[in-house]
Amino acid sequence: MKVDLNKEFSLPGTGLQAWTFLQDIRGVASCMPGAEITEDLGDGNYKGKVKAKIGPATMSFNGDIIIQNIDAAKRELHMIGKGQDTKGSSSATMDLRAWVEDSDDGKSVLQGVATVTVNGKAASLGGRMMTQVADQMLNQFGKSFANNVASMGEGEEAEMARDKIAEQPAELNGLAFAWSVFVGWFGSLFNSKK
Amino acid sequence: MAKQAVSFTLNGKTVDVLVEPRELLIHTLRENLNQTGAHIGCETSHCGVCTVDIDGESVKSCTLLTVQTAGSDVKSVEGMATADGLHVIQQAFVDEHGLQCGFCTPGMLMRAYRFLQENPDPNDEEIRWGMSGNLCRCTGYQNIINAVKTAAKNLQQA
Amino acid sequence: MDTVADKQKREDSLNGVGCSRKRKEDARFIQGKGNYTDDIKMPGMLFADMVRSPYAHARIISINTEKALALPGVHAVLTAADLKPLNLHWMPTLAGDVQAVLADEKVHFQYQEVALVVADDRYIAADAIDLVEVEYEELPVLVDPHKAMTTEAPILREDLVGKMEGAHSTRKHDNHIFNWQAGEKDATDRVFDAAEVTVSQDMVYHRVHPCPLETCGCVASMDKINGKLTVYLTSQAPHVVRTVVSMLSGLPESSVRIVSPDIGGGFGNKVGIYPGYVASIVASIVLGVPVKWVEDRMENISTTAFARDYHMRGELAADSNGIIKALRVNVLADHGAFDSCADPSKFPAGFMHICTGSYDIPVAHLNVDGVYTNKAPGGVSYRCSFRVTEAVYVIERTIDVLAQKLGIDKAEIRRRNFVKKEQFPYTTCLGFELDSGDYHTALEKVLDAVDYKGLRREQEEKRANGELMGIGLVTFTEVVGAGPSKSCDILGVGMFDSAEIRVHPTGSVMARMGTITQGQGHQTTYAQIIASELGITSDEIAIEEGDTDTSPYGLGTYGSRSTPVGGAATAVAARKIKAKAKKIAAHLLEVSEDDLEWEVDRFKVKGVPGQEKTMKDIAWAAYNNVPEGMEPGLEAVDYYDPPNFTFPFGAYLCVVDIDKDTGVTDIRRFYALDDCGTRINPMIIDGQIHGGLTEGYAVAMGQEMPYDEEGNLLGNTLMDYFLPTFVETPKWETDYTVTPSPHHPIGAKGVAESPHVGSIPTFTSAMVDAFAHLDVTHMDMPHNAYRVWKQIKALGLLDN
Repeated sequence: MKVDLNKEFSLPGTGLQAWTFLQDIRGVASCMPGAEITEDLGDGNYKGKVKAKIGPATMSFNGDIIIQNIDAAKRELHMIGKGQDTKGSSSATMDLRAWVEDSDDGKSVLQGVATVTVNGKAASLGGRMMTQVADQMLNQFGKSFANNVASMGEGEEAEMARDKIAEQPAELNGLAFAWSVFVGWFGSLFNSKK
Repeated sequence: MAKQAVSFTLNGKTVDVLVEPRELLIHTLRENLNQTGAHIGCETSHCGVCTVDIDGESVKSCTLLTVQTAGSDVKSVEGMATADGLHVIQQAFVDEHGLQCGFCTPGMLMRAYRFLQENPDPNDEEIRWGMSGNLCRCTGYQNIINAVKTAAKNLQQA
Repeated sequence: MDTVADKQKREDSLNGVGCSRKRKEDARFIQGKGNYTDDIKMPGMLFADMVRSPYAHARIISINTEKALALPGVHAVLTAADLKPLNLHWMPTLAGDVQAVLADEKVHFQYQEVALVVADDRYIAADAIDLVEVEYEELPVLVDPHKAMTTEAPILREDLVGKMEGAHSTRKHDNHIFNWQAGEKDATDRVFDAAEVTVSQDMVYHRVHPCPLETCGCVASMDKINGKLTVYLTSQAPHVVRTVVSMLSGLPESSVRIVSPDIGGGFGNKVGIYPGYVASIVASIVLGVPVKWVEDRMENISTTAFARDYHMRGELAADSNGIIKALRVNVLADHGAFDSCADPSKFPAGFMHICTGSYDIPVAHLNVDGVYTNKAPGGVSYRCSFRVTEAVYVIERTIDVLAQKLGIDKAEIRRRNFVKKEQFPYTTCLGFELDSGDYHTALEKVLDAVDYKGLRREQEEKRANGELMGIGLVTFTEVVGAGPSKSCDILGVGMFDSAEIRVHPTGSVMARMGTITQGQGHQTTYAQIIASELGITSDEIAIEEGDTDTSPYGLGTYGSRSTPVGGAATAVAARKIKAKAKKIAAHLLEVSEDDLEWEVDRFKVKGVPGQEKTMKDIAWAAYNNVPEGMEPGLEAVDYYDPPNFTFPFGAYLCVVDIDKDTGVTDIRRFYALDDCGTRINPMIIDGQIHGGLTEGYAVAMGQEMPYDEEGNLLGNTLMDYFLPTFVETPKWETDYTVTPSPHHPIGAKGVAESPHVGSIPTFTSAMVDAFAHLDVTHMDMPHNAYRVWKQIKALGLLDN
């Protein structure tokens, strides 16, 4: 099961701030709901895990993150995340290219192109929801990323952003997420009929 | 996992079982209490071969925890016939050839048992909707519909 | 008393052939007293569960079982490494290939068996499979069979690399399994080159799963003290399983007992021998205690025996009047990762060569290539005889396309091409001898019953209003009852079947057969055959099947073979008993056998009223007063090797109304006329037809097994896999004609599969017909609302 995603997030900080944060792999990983880096293996290799709870099902992926390339000139990061759930019945791979662009208003935009491949039970059972789930995960990622960039600044906005980061749930959780997936899926039904 | 004591009524008799909190009712019925009439077909509550009657409702016992049945009145296919003979619905299934391999039959009978109390005089369309939570791969349902109709008629006359 | 009325009364009391006797087996099922495999409990029994691969194609780098073994309640974790010393890590398939029992170095399909965990109960086993750590290295995946034989295709079966002599033919590519052909290629091509009209239609007969409500499973119990292995197992062919288990384990066949208890539906899914069975048997042998393994629904749909997956091209050459001159069929068959079809050995594409259908076709050529892909193995006959559903689909679809091209009505083109009643027995150009048939009568009966002309008029009006109404018509011929052992065998065992009948001193009967019922009602219908043959009421005839320790060897129940073969054996065994009974009667009545005549339940001395002996009298005498030199007792065994197949046929008509805005299809009417020869129990026949039509409806309208590019099966629970409920299942109308099989002892042909085989192309025919005026010639199944809606959209028929 393969899904291609294209995402664009407006960021409250400058391109330089965004690019600085993008290179902080631990920080970037923590923007992904339920994800964390557990070990830095050096040379751009990390070990990490992602925990997702959807309804009664908890899936916990252990995996490797490999930084393929950091292109400072283009402010682009290319990374591959590969994981197998701890029960051995599913696996997922994400090939992500993300880069920062300056926008006219002095702020910036985070662009992302990702291919997510899922195998095993997660594909069989969740295939229909894959696009929506991945989409929602990335939306949460984008919000969190924006907060992090904002928090690098000064003043009240940065304070608020720092508070929001602290409130962020440690795992992809619960009904709110399921609801947003459902809304996304329901919306897509109507979109496809155009 | 620590086991819990659970008591409920099964076909009129009190039963006490010791189960893990995660144990499903279908497994308690089949493996603990040796009531193998209800079967397991899908584990996702789609097929209905595990249907039993709990406190006046049809329930798919493959997705119900045994601990949830504490204090409940559970009825399974084993409790349908009495010393006087078969239940009217059971007889109707035989008379109308409402079963083939028999795997869905206990669940089908338990659903019909409840359905005919919910709707004692159903037409074909109402039977189709009322029984639609129970799947059968053999009969194409037509003779089950006939069986439910026959049972309804005979129950009213009884 | 010897009146006609008395005779009739005696006849009726037999509950013999032709009556709608209530089913003998129902009593236990309605009380919840059925005894299915998962109902079996044995002292000390452990539960097994399977570790499966998330990948469709990957190398296994390592398997770590330590954590699983450390879990309290876990007794063993078996992997290929444990089976290797016993040479049981691979097993032979029924199709001449081998299949991994537990993945050996590589996994070839998603959900393939990797390790078997054995634990105290099913919960601990489920916990333990999560603890088995398997490291995989992903390999390129081959999903599309059309790419299997290209140079860039990944090679799946490393065990076969370089072995270019396959079980059925030379292999052209490492992913090629076999090529199989029937008919005359050159002669067919010549007719096509010169033909006035030709049509060609590509069609995909998609992959589906039989999906019986009871999944597959077994309880294996090895008694190490007496050396006996007993296995309760959901098998449609227990005797074949015994032979295979004996060959694999080295145990003498007499030390292996296979019992098929009650079976919760088979439909072809339970013919094969699966890794779970073999691994559980090994576990029981190793541990010395009973081991139960039962699939869950996901495992059932994902790993045990799919059906179909034939990618076909049907071509017809005809003259301008629609008279068929030649048929050409090409098939690419996707067999998955191992060839584990369950066809007779000499027929790797089953009886696909019945694809000439009900038509008088002078010359034909059939070409089938089987290939490996990274999908689950199988290719079984889902409620049909070997590949007959595919064959009927391709000819019935293609003849519709021809009719459409020539502007000839579907019914008319069939009339023009039918094998005529007087042509039987008719040998088809692909080699079957159709023993009997009356196709014209069947077709006309259906057309009259539904007012075909009226329907066509209505359709004209609807089309004028922009509404979508379709009329599907199919006139099929099946080939069932495999089969004559000169051409049909499984693993070298001829496809006979057997019956053993014992008449007790008091005249009741115990009979055992080599077949095994899965809902067909054998305990009812076999008794009816014996009742009519022997004049003993069927209520006193007990039928037993499925226990290899007690029943005679038979090849089992699939491909509608029970009545054509097992039923024939039953009739012949009964006739052997009757022949002996006649000798005893002659002895008792002190006359010559020639002076006796049979009447319902007794032998009478011709012309001497009152001088008679009933079968009950004779049964008693058989145990105390037999003619000198005759051995006592009254029993017989017959192993029946049929001289030919049987050829049930029928004419089906379906009317659909399609909602133009949603693609939702309403099956307004489905009229099914079947000719299964002599009708043993009309009530059961009707039930079988209802069931077969419903399974046909499921396949045509919704069932599918979609795989993504990575080889993930998308949809292997009942959330996704379509099993029709009460609500969407149409109301069926049934009808019949009776054309007995001339070679079958009682003229019966088998019935349960015709409705599946015949209905599927009928649905497609109706769906396509709804769009035929818009030049649509074919639509691939399943005809679910979304796919139909896309068709509507593509044709620009949507209002907005």
